[in-house]
Amino acid sequence: MLGELGTASLTVGLLCAVLTALLWLRVALFSAPIRPARLATAATFAAAAVACGVLEAALLRHDFSVRFVAENGGRQVPLYYTVTSLWSALDGSLLLWLLVLGGYAVLLAGRRYPLRLHAYAMTVLSAVAMFFFALSCFAANPFRTVDPVPADGPGPNPLLQQHPAMGVHPPLLYAGYIGLVVPFAFALAAPLAGRQGRAWLRMARPWTLPAWAALSAGIGLGAWWSYAVLGWGGYWAWDPVENASLLPWLTATAFLHTALGRGAGRAGWNRVLACASFVLVLLGTFLTRSGAVASVHAFTDSPLGPVLFGFVLLAVVASTVLTGRRTAEPARRTGSPVLSRNTVVLVNGVLLVTLAAVVLIGTVFPLLSGPLAGVRTSVGPGYYQRTAVPLAIVLLLAMGVTPALRAGGWTRAVRRLAVPGGVALATVAVVGLLSRPGLPALTAFGTAAFVLAGLVGELPDRLRRAGRGQRVGRLAGTLAHCGIALVAVGVAGSSAYGRETERTVRTGETLRVGDATIRLVGVDRTTGAGQMSARARLRLSESGRAERTVTPALRYHPARDTAVTVPAIDTGLLRDTYVTLIAVSPDSGSATLRLAVNPLVGLLWAGGALTSVAGLGAAIGTARPRRRSGATPGGTRPATVAARARVGR
Amino acid sequence: MRWRPAAAALALAALLAAAGVGLTRSAAGTGRDDPVRSVAADLRCPACQGESVADSRSPIAAAMRQAVSDQLAQGRSRAEVRRWFVERYGPEVLVEPPARGVGLLLWAVPALTLLGAGYAARRTLRPRSGPDGGPTAPTSPRRAARAMPGARARRAWRCSALGLIAVVVSVAVATRSLDRPGPTPTPADPVAVALGLARDLEAQDRYAAAAQMYREALRDRSDDTIRLRLAFALLRAGDAAGAAQAATEALARVPDSPDGLLVLGLAQRRTRPVEAPRTLRRFLTVAPEHPAVPEIERLLAARP
Repeated sequence: MLGELGTASLTVGLLCAVLTALLWLRVALFSAPIRPARLATAATFAAAAVACGVLEAALLRHDFSVRFVAENGGRQVPLYYTVTSLWSALDGSLLLWLLVLGGYAVLLAGRRYPLRLHAYAMTVLSAVAMFFFALSCFAANPFRTVDPVPADGPGPNPLLQQHPAMGVHPPLLYAGYIGLVVPFAFALAAPLAGRQGRAWLRMARPWTLPAWAALSAGIGLGAWWSYAVLGWGGYWAWDPVENASLLPWLTATAFLHTALGRGAGRAGWNRVLACASFVLVLLGTFLTRSGAVASVHAFTDSPLGPVLFGFVLLAVVASTVLTGRRTAEPARRTGSPVLSRNTVVLVNGVLLVTLAAVVLIGTVFPLLSGPLAGVRTSVGPGYYQRTAVPLAIVLLLAMGVTPALRAGGWTRAVRRLAVPGGVALATVAVVGLLSRPGLPALTAFGTAAFVLAGLVGELPDRLRRAGRGQRVGRLAGTLAHCGIALVAVGVAGSSAYGRETERTVRTGETLRVGDATIRLVGVDRTTGAGQMSARARLRLSESGRAERTVTPALRYHPARDTAVTVPAIDTGLLRDTYVTLIAVSPDSGSATLRLAVNPLVGLLWAGGALTSVAGLGAAIGTARPRRRSGATPGGTRPATVAARARVGR
Repeated sequence: MRWRPAAAALALAALLAAAGVGLTRSAAGTGRDDPVRSVAADLRCPACQGESVADSRSPIAAAMRQAVSDQLAQGRSRAEVRRWFVERYGPEVLVEPPARGVGLLLWAVPALTLLGAGYAARRTLRPRSGPDGGPTAPTSPRRAARAMPGARARRAWRCSALGLIAVVVSVAVATRSLDRPGPTPTPADPVAVALGLARDLEAQDRYAAAAQMYREALRDRSDDTIRLRLAFALLRAGDAAGAAQAATEALARVPDSPDGLLVLGLAQRRTRPVEAPRTLRRFLTVAPEHPAVPEIERLLAARP
């Protein structure tokens, strides 16, 4: 019953999506009335919502006649993870994708923009929705019925049942990915809409900010999930799925910067970056969802590869044809001064695009090396450490130069950078003399100190000089930069000072790293609820802290023949103590344990959170004053307070 | 106030010197440079996804780490050990492909992107002599800004509508002909690597560790030849019962396998001495040409 309802909602959704695209096209071409198009957009969204609701209901009622539930549901699965299993496999997550896309379409359709630009952008958006509805209908319909109906299902992948972040990470990531369709749609619509198209950037940037914030938060949560669930002690492995989320983030970050100040003189950059961001989203979806590249995060493989690749090509061709034409720009008799926002924004753009090229070629290399050299080779973290890390440090350095950009010539610029430069040198000296973190980490510490000192030093002045409507945006920009610098410190610190050891110990024996010692008290085994688990009871003692018990576990899920190591993470102020149970002897008398001390990991999460929240704050800050055109005190103050409240959290 | 610039210069010099010392100290090495780890970090674990031998916890990776450690202990250089692994298991055993051939792409693509983007940025920054609001620039947008003339708009409408529907139809048609993809190929065949490691371990008389590798290989590929190799390794490691069991499993499918009979008979000499001579005699009748025949005949003659 639910299966038929779901299939019907998908079919209706596909028809509505085609109709929506056609109606918006009529608005654009013939200036037809806009109301039917808006209604059709809402109907498409409603169909996606019904499909999601039906699948969720089938999961909750354990209706194993529905294929997706038979493959991913289970009676033993806790309620929370039953709800989240909607996006634990491709077919269900495609429905979430459709829901988010429909939501963006409804929000965008309701705004008042120049008519033809708006209508063309909505046509592009609806065409994208139409493609994904077709994919869901024909290739990945989760509602197909199963016969005979199984009595129980295997549940979602055990790795996806370990961490509460599972409930927020995929939706946030999707909100980020799909949000990038809006700048893409506007960039494609602009050349079609003629003169109205010149203003596209003013409409696209406020939509990019929340998408970028959601994407940042999604990437951060993904790293946290990897750290807390996969049990290998790290948070970023340059895995294809991780890279696929980083690629659009890099280009979207570059876009947010080139679009500053209405993108004056950088029209080509804005068009290319807006298109590239969404094309990279599609490419990432193709790479990770089709089984084209192997990944630890790819929980699905599907036959969608060729179709998705076709759509990527279509998007590339459409972007090139529509935005490739050179548009006439107003002449500039003088070049930009070397120290100007224009220069720094472009340097930032060049570096981010190069970084994206590094990550992209590293990710697709296995696909190229197979046909070209006959051997399928993939690229390990060493490559990125040699290429991406130096680029990231130079990028950080460029970020630190921003305080020098104000008017006043070279002398004043040097004077403004004197204090941050001194702080950076002092940091390098002190850290380098007290410890040996290695050259990249030491440089990163120095550069981060340069950035932070510069940002903090200029913040009061920057806020004082900002106009009424600009303060939130300025504050958000500073905080986002601070967040990135903190992430850099966290990454450098945890990779430079992390220590680990791994050994098999008998009950009563100890394992030691630095000043952290664990003693194996005993091993408990339990069976039940669809899993067998072994739990090691350990006493952890560190200098200066009370002794306490930690219990890492090893769980085996027979339904999927998967073992999951659940690490015990003891979070301190400056470092985490990370214990993994790797193996247990048959008589439970000994256990193989891995003890790691990961310093400064907390800064990574704090920095990621700060960056995401600042992105959201900037989105609110730029959205508000514009709507009221002319920033009235009543209009901006609530936004400022709200943003500050968020930032202060 | 002459002293102020002098003091600033002095402070700057002191800071620069201290930072320079810190940097050179760090460049000299991080003080926790583990040669085994550094070689293992360059090798790909064949049984895992995207993990290096240094990070992986699989038994194959542990055996590979042991091989690295042994060879370094014999005085080979890191590069020699790396080359040894490449010769044995092919270049795909390396985490990072060498920078030649296709591997050059990894460096050329970012370099060309950097050059291209840098050139574009330079062009953007250069003064432009283009039309400064003159009559040529706005004409085409102005024409486009008006609603399209009726015939053109209708043609655009028909083409676009057909195009949209063609996308849906092509998705429907394309997905008809799709098959579920096969299992994703792993870079280096874990079974081959496990077998290679096991043979090395046997050559060093470390039979228990070799047996462990054969078990790893068996888990991925159930093959009676591997099972018999396992039985031989177990026998030499002193686990006669395990050897007998493995040989019996292999003989269950191929009752007249000479190697199976041989290893079973030898194992039975320790577990069930009564049945051993019968099994060994069967071996002699099945494979009279086997190189082990003289040795077995000697054994049987010694203990009738």
